[in-house]
Amino acid sequence: MATAVLGHDDRRLVAEASLDFLVVEMVDLMHRSHAGETGETDREAAYFKLENLGYQLGMAMVERITKDRPRFLDNLDVVKFICKDFWIALFKKQIDNLKTNHRGVYVLTDNNFRWFSRMSGDGTSADISRQAFAHLAFPCGLIRGALGNLGVATVVSGEVTTIPHCTFQIKISKP
Amino acid sequence: MPFDVICIAVIGKTNNPLYIKNCSRNAAYPDLKCHYIAHTAIDLVEEKISTTKQADQYLGLLYALEELAVFGYITNTRVKFIIVTSLTDAAIKDQEMKALFRKIHNAYVALVSNPFWDPDAQRVISSPNFDRAIAQVAAGSSS
Repeated sequence: MATAVLGHDDRRLVAEASLDFLVVEMVDLMHRSHAGETGETDREAAYFKLENLGYQLGMAMVERITKDRPRFLDNLDVVKFICKDFWIALFKKQIDNLKTNHRGVYVLTDNNFRWFSRMSGDGTSADISRQAFAHLAFPCGLIRGALGNLGVATVVSGEVTTIPHCTFQIKISKP
Repeated sequence: MPFDVICIAVIGKTNNPLYIKNCSRNAAYPDLKCHYIAHTAIDLVEEKISTTKQADQYLGLLYALEELAVFGYITNTRVKFIIVTSLTDAAIKDQEMKALFRKIHNAYVALVSNPFWDPDAQRVISSPNFDRAIAQVAAGSSS
C-alpha cells in the first residue's frame, strides 16, 4: 500500500509480495476454519467474516485518507473518491470504468485487479471464477466500510468473469 | 497564543457525544456548561454545512456566548470537533485555530486506526493517548 497517500509522516516500506501472500492466506484461513460445516453455509460464513474485516479496515482507512480533503458535496463525489484516491491508496491504480444509472447503482470495473493479477487456476474458467470470487469478499467490505464512514449506506457485491478482470456493484440503500 | 482553551469536544456522526474535556482552571465553567455549549454548537454546525457551499473542513467561529467563543470543524466522516475559547481583545486568527483542529484530527485518526476501536459502538472515547494529545492542544494554546 502506498503509505504516502495514507498520510504517514514516517514513511515505512512494506514488501509487496508478503502483503499479497498475507491477503491470500487470510482468505484461505477463513475458509479452512469453516470447513467443518456443510455445503453453502461454510462458504457464506467465511465470506461474511472477510467482508466484516474489510468493513472495519475501510472505515479506519478512509478516516486517514480524507484528512486533508475538502468535504464531499454529493454521493457521486464520494464514489469518484473511491475510484480514484481510495483505489490508489490500496492498489496504486485507479478503477478503470465507472458506470451509473443515476438512481443509486454504480458499477466499478477493474480490468486488472491487483490481487488477481498473479493468480492462475485449474479447470474451466467457471471454476476459476468461483475460486477467485472468495477473494472478493474482503475488497467488497473495504468499499462498503469506506462509503459507510462517509455517510453513504450501501450494499456492495463483486463479480468475476475472467481473472484478473472484475466488477464491483455498489447499491445505495435508501434511508 | 493569546487565548485560553476552555473546552474541547468531539461529537460523533450521529451527534452522539464522544468526548468532552473541560480544560479551564476556572470554577466559573463547570462541566455542565461544557456539555451545554457542545450541545448548542451542533445546531450551528448543521446550519453552517447546509448553507455554505464552501467545502472546507474548518467551519470558523460558530457563535460567541457571553465571554466565550465557539469554533467548529467537521471531518469528511461527519465527526465534529468543537473548541471553546475565552474571548480576548486581540482577534483569534483562523490559522491558529486550524492548527489546533488539525492536531485534534490527527489524534482522532490515530485513535480510529486502532484495530480494537469499534467504529459503530458509539462509546465515549477513553484512550490515554487521545487524552494526552488533547491536553497538549489545550496547553499549547495558552500563553
